[in-house]
Amino acid sequence: MSQAKKTPSGRNNFLVMISGAVVITGLLVVVSMSMYSSSGAAQLDLSRPGYVSVRDKAVKNDSDFQTFSSSGEINEKIISEFKISFAKQALKVKLVDAFGGDPLSPVSLGIDAVDPIETTQ
Amino acid sequence: MTIHKKTIGFSLIIAVCLAGASFLSVSAQNTSITAQQTEKIHSNCTSLKNTLNQLHSSDALLRVNMGQTYESVLTKLIDRFNSRLSNNKINNDNLKSATSEYNTALDVFRLDYKTYEERLSDALNTDCSEQPAAFYDAVAIARGERIRVHADVVRLDQLIDKYQQSLDQFEKDYRSVVQGLKK
Repeated sequence: MSQAKKTPSGRNNFLVMISGAVVITGLLVVVSMSMYSSSGAAQLDLSRPGYVSVRDKAVKNDSDFQTFSSSGEINEKIISEFKISFAKQALKVKLVDAFGGDPLSPVSLGIDAVDPIETTQ
Repeated sequence: MTIHKKTIGFSLIIAVCLAGASFLSVSAQNTSITAQQTEKIHSNCTSLKNTLNQLHSSDALLRVNMGQTYESVLTKLIDRFNSRLSNNKINNDNLKSATSEYNTALDVFRLDYKTYEERLSDALNTDCSEQPAAFYDAVAIARGERIRVHADVVRLDQLIDKYQQSLDQFEKDYRSVVQGLKK
């Protein structure tokens, strides 16, 4: 008799537990996805489907970028060494005109108001 | 009666505010786009989407690679050299100030790129064959954000120059102090 009473209650507990787990999982997914998009990680994630073509071109090994030691003495030789490695990296950075040009302008996209046929005439 | 008047007055204020807000919203979206442009967007919709998709990918790659380089300049060189100077109890206020500016500019770059990517995604998600005007507006907004990102990159390059100049000055000062001690 007592077992017959316990069975439906046990089932209910099991359902509550499963539902609770699903709800908590859903909440955690929502929280993690909002963190993923708000932190800017989504913009750096080249594993996203839209970035297949460029995924392999990401620089994975920057071995020529030597880490300067934060410990040790300071003398003219050390300063000079640091200046050389800094100048090398600075030059590398400045050689790229990142986000330059204007590829989103109506002219570049071919959606400007001026008709190219009219302009040539 | 007084309550009734107050209710009418309050409703009027709300109505005026809503009308103003909707007017501002409409005027913000209302970019002058000619019928010819609408036609161009409508007929070249697929190729426009392809162009935007390519730009979206190439800019993401650029963001990853450039961001990594800017980050490495800071963490592998600048921060470490500043720490080494501090460990040796050498005054480096000018270098610290340049570093702080660089740090702030790097944060702005990260944030502006995020906004740009979101706006470009908005443009990509706008149906250019059904809503050419909305597509044109979305592209114009993304364009503005991309120009801002480029300005951030220029600023970062300038700050690298500034750090280099501070470094030159630091070297001069250090030499003069060392020579003074030798005498």
